Amino acid sequence: MHLGDLLRVSIRQLLRHRRRYWGVMLAIAIGTAGFITIITMGRDLKKNFNRDLELLGKATLIRVYFEKRPSFAYQRFQPSTLDALRRLPGVSEASLVAQQPWVLASWQGRDYNLAMLGVDAAFWQVNGLIPRRGKFFTPEDLRFSQRVVILGPELARTIFGRDNVVGEQLTIQQELYTVLAVLNGAGLGDYAHFAFMPLSTAENRIMRISPANRIYLRCRTWEDVSKVAPLIPGAIQAVQPAQGLKVEVAWEHLRRVEAVAWWVEFFIYSSIVATLILGGLGIWTVMMAAVRSRTREIGLKKAMGAEDRAIMAQFLAEAVCLSVAASLLGSALGFISVEVTSLLIHSHPGEGLFLMCVLLGLLVAVGLGVAAGLYPSLQASRMEVVSAIRYE
Amino acid sequence: MLPGNGGPLIRVTRLSKHYSNGQGVIPVLRGVNLEVRPGEMVAVMGPSGSGKSTLLFILGLLMPASSGNYQFMGQDMLALSRAAQAEFRRRQVGFVFQNCDLFENSTVYENLEFPLVYAKVERQDRPERIAAALQRVDLAHRIHHQANHLSGGEKQRVAIARALVNEPLVILADEPTGHLDRTHGHMVMDHFSQIVAAGDTALIVVTHDPQVAARCSRIFSLEDGILNEN
Repeated sequence: MHLGDLLRVSIRQLLRHRRRYWGVMLAIAIGTAGFITIITMGRDLKKNFNRDLELLGKATLIRVYFEKRPSFAYQRFQPSTLDALRRLPGVSEASLVAQQPWVLASWQGRDYNLAMLGVDAAFWQVNGLIPRRGKFFTPEDLRFSQRVVILGPELARTIFGRDNVVGEQLTIQQELYTVLAVLNGAGLGDYAHFAFMPLSTAENRIMRISPANRIYLRCRTWEDVSKVAPLIPGAIQAVQPAQGLKVEVAWEHLRRVEAVAWWVEFFIYSSIVATLILGGLGIWTVMMAAVRSRTREIGLKKAMGAEDRAIMAQFLAEAVCLSVAASLLGSALGFISVEVTSLLIHSHPGEGLFLMCVLLGLLVAVGLGVAAGLYPSLQASRMEVVSAIRYE
Repeated sequence: MLPGNGGPLIRVTRLSKHYSNGQGVIPVLRGVNLEVRPGEMVAVMGPSGSGKSTLLFILGLLMPASSGNYQFMGQDMLALSRAAQAEFRRRQVGFVFQNCDLFENSTVYENLEFPLVYAKVERQDRPERIAAALQRVDLAHRIHHQANHLSGGEKQRVAIARALVNEPLVILADEPTGHLDRTHGHMVMDHFSQIVAAGDTALIVVTHDPQVAARCSRIFSLEDGILNEN
């Protein structure tokens, strides 16, 4: 039997009995669509998941600082160190920070002790912060040590009794500073009580502020954290002395996040595998039913001279055509799903990855069709002709 | 290729068939001898359960014999492998069964195409051969009709055309008029007569209808597993 005839007869058979095969096709198609969506969008979904996690915790944040010890020299991080760390694979952003936990400020005759951070432009992105009111420092503010300050919302309420304080003047160490913004963001945490000023301003104007000896690194995914952390000391030592260097990772937090993510992935992949297995069982069942209901047909074909292997090939081809058709339907559903997900998370995965997933889905479908159709096909091919012809 | 010097197409000697069940052996055919020449119409008669169909199935290699010899054009048929048996059925034999047994969801064309598909006849050669086979049973106009839209007589004629499409040397027909009324039964036998008269195709028809048997050149009766020529 020619391959062309085999495919033509199989496809014709599927089309004529399409009602029998719809359920199975749909199950496999959904499994394939899920598979394509998860694989194609997985990386971007994970990135989004990370971004969301930033709001909840610090799993992908690494703190790097110089330990304070009397015997150590007074150290600060160089700008070139920051650049070296930004170039590490898996690092999305890095921010340099100086701090002074006690800074005297006053407003309308009342004094306050501020916890002050001098920060660079990357600080907000690294920490997932946004302005509730106002705006962040401009490049000019950062470059020219402007007297501007951003307040955490709790601090703003403590000093001013409200948080709509953009444009207000605050005296810090006897100099007037303009409030540029009040912070917001679910990841605010303790920063709600902090005041922030440009790093250059803090270093030039705030007395007894620490050197810029603290770096916050944000990794792209939690999987990157354990790869990035060991690289940090080497990367810093290549640029500057690193005596007393400390690298701090929220390992416990990270492990919990990884565990949750692992279970989420496990359940997603399990459900896809389960759907495909159900689809395979469906193919097996409908093919067994087809063999039974077409017993006389099998006998007649053998009487016409069909060899056992031709009968086997026909039923196997029908099973494979069924699963491949389901896979193509699944690819179409997967395409729609990927497009919708891309719109929702503002991401555009490469077409190459999608096509690779479609190809992989087709290969899985062929394997599924062969695996599920093999036994029914063998049953059909081994039928005795006379029993088959006489089957009622 | 036909046998030379007028030899028999089919030669069966001392052919036996028996079934075994838990309680013993049940003989069906006992030492059957039969010779059929090209162009002969042979009827095998006998009561139900006498083994007529069993003999036909053995001749078509659909069922193995228990003992004896069966030669087709001088070749030992009982020693063939499964693949060779299938090849024999593809090239040399056409079957017509009592129940018509068409593929009901297929068209007449598709029904006749299957034997050609298995014989690996090129696709472009098939329409001509299918049309010719249908012409011989006067059903060329039904070529693209669904099989389940045909009458009983038409279905049986399509079954005959399907048996003919690979131009076999022998047609084995099992009660081909069993489900047809007298008029359609005659029509089917007329077609068989024309086919046999037109060439060297032999026909072996199993029947319990004396009128069908009367249309054949030789009549055998099978009783208690023993075949006798009338």
